[in-house]
Amino acid sequence: MTDPGSVQPIPIRLVLVDDHRMFRSGVKAELGESMVIVGEAADVDRAIVVVAQTRPDVVLLDVHLPGGNGNGGSDVISGSGGVSAESGQPVRFLALSVSDAAEDVIAVIRAGARGYVTKTINGNDLTSAIRRVADGDAVFSPRLAGFVLDAFGAAAGEVALIDEELDRLSTREREVMRLIARGYQYKEVAKELFISIKTVETHVSSVLRKLQLSSRHELTAWAVGRRLL
Amino acid sequence: MPYELSHSPTDPGQRRAVRRLERPTRGRYVAGVCAGLAEHLGLNVRQVRLTFILASLAGGVGIAAYLFLWALTPQSPEATAVPGTHAVAAGRQANESLRNFVVGLGLLLVGGVLFAQQHDVNLRLGVLIPLMTVAGGAVLAWSQLDDAERGRWLVRSGEGRRAGLLRLGVGIALASVGVVFLATQGRGLAGLWDVGIAAVAVLAGAALIAAPWGVRLWSDLRAEQAQRIRETERADIAAHLHDSVLQTLALIQRKADDPGEVTRLARAQERELRGWLYAGPRGSRASLASAVTQAAHEVEDLHGIPIELVITGDGPLDMGGTALVQAVREALINAVRHGAPPVSAYVEVGSERVEAFVRDHGPGFDIDDVPRDRLGVRKSILGRMSRNGGTAALRRLEHGTEVCLSLPVSIAGAQAEAAPDAQPDIEGTR
Repeated sequence: MTDPGSVQPIPIRLVLVDDHRMFRSGVKAELGESMVIVGEAADVDRAIVVVAQTRPDVVLLDVHLPGGNGNGGSDVISGSGGVSAESGQPVRFLALSVSDAAEDVIAVIRAGARGYVTKTINGNDLTSAIRRVADGDAVFSPRLAGFVLDAFGAAAGEVALIDEELDRLSTREREVMRLIARGYQYKEVAKELFISIKTVETHVSSVLRKLQLSSRHELTAWAVGRRLL
Repeated sequence: MPYELSHSPTDPGQRRAVRRLERPTRGRYVAGVCAGLAEHLGLNVRQVRLTFILASLAGGVGIAAYLFLWALTPQSPEATAVPGTHAVAAGRQANESLRNFVVGLGLLLVGGVLFAQQHDVNLRLGVLIPLMTVAGGAVLAWSQLDDAERGRWLVRSGEGRRAGLLRLGVGIALASVGVVFLATQGRGLAGLWDVGIAAVAVLAGAALIAAPWGVRLWSDLRAEQAQRIRETERADIAAHLHDSVLQTLALIQRKADDPGEVTRLARAQERELRGWLYAGPRGSRASLASAVTQAAHEVEDLHGIPIELVITGDGPLDMGGTALVQAVREALINAVRHGAPPVSAYVEVGSERVEAFVRDHGPGFDIDDVPRDRLGVRKSILGRMSRNGGTAALRRLEHGTEVCLSLPVSIAGAQAEAAPDAQPDIEGTR
């Protein structure tokens, strides 16, 4: 839990947003003492109020929520735009879902979530995912990496010729995504590609940015057309 | 929920027990009045029919009584309540009896007219023919709006509905023409305008008064239909949840002391529910992705260890693909048996090659440790891949083992294309 690499003098302040009370208490029990849960909410409107009041570092956000405009987690993110944490950093969102439907996942990422994990994730992985998101990095589960490879046509061999191209992944980004899809941790990806963990994180963040900014029309059509992976 | 389930079957039963006077849809000649009456009073159908015929000869009392009962007796709901072959048969029979009725009536009329003319009775055909036209139109239109048929007509779409509309239209047109002729009797075309304008004015007034009522009736009907559809859907969902999720939850409670079994049950149920909620995730069963998914699920079920499966792209399942699926399956079995969770599998179906990676987090296996299994791996994974023009490699990672499989798509495609060509050659050499 306390690895010497990242000393956390101040525990991460966390808000839990999920409409299942049982799941919220389960998460609370699993998270270690490096996290402080400063607020909870069960629907979109309450979540926006709680986030504005408590100004947490990270919001753990269910993709499917009642209330708002009916878009669930995406509504919370757009409703909390401009809110910054007490540390001055913007509030970061980590999406959490049982859905696995590409449509929902892509929607919440495009709304601004920094990552996506499934609800079956174990406590340790969840803790490290939250920490990574709090540090401003992106968190990709193997499944999300698979979505990305599919949506950007990278699996079919489409690769960007210049890094700035938003509609395609670069060769390196594709490599990183493939390894994440294969179940590799960032550390293992770095070792495999002979690069530093920081570089891996940079690549992942850049993929996240492309996912959020790309106007690739296939992206939405793909996600809608394939409701499930 | 038990209430709802038991409620619907008893409903028709109760109705039958009361023995309401209804016109049955089967075994009828004209409109089923006699059959219904016989059923209701517990009499012989033939006797009832004979009575009506005899009464008809006595100054038409029978016909009047018949028409009266026809108008007031509802049709038995059987035809609409039981969809399928039964309803179709009943409908066909109803059609047949209607045809019998129309033909019989026509013959009767012609006979009557001829008879009357022979005896020099002034029939005033100028009145009779329009009257008949009106009556014919009314029968056509009303038969279309018959209580039982209305539901079928509204629900049914396409051909049946179009035919129904046509019948209704022809009926209304016939009746209107008859009324106009009746009204313009002996006044020629000039009078037609006055009568027409008056008729339109009256109709418009009636429509104005009846419109709100009609609209409300229509919207009520729509609401009722929507409600019924919603209820059916809800019952479907309830039935499904009852059969699957509730059963599994009961099983889990019973096996609470066996964590492995509980995990297995939960995973299997989760998959089943997912499949039901998002039906048809990847097209047909014969695709590479669905075959891999199925193989992974089987391994999961067999060993109770969850497998994180990610697939990108998809393709047809050919010979090479089948070999790849079997190799993946073998690798997964090895991973869950000898490795440690989390076990993950990634399959990438590209345009040039299909690649599959199966990874576990176990200590990794040694050649000397399990020589037999090793042989199994060599035969069922490495051998199978090389036979199909692909490659397989085993990698030992810091945490666990990874099996990497690769199969060129072009070779698999070429094999599939070559197969039909090869067939006649083989036959020729034989």
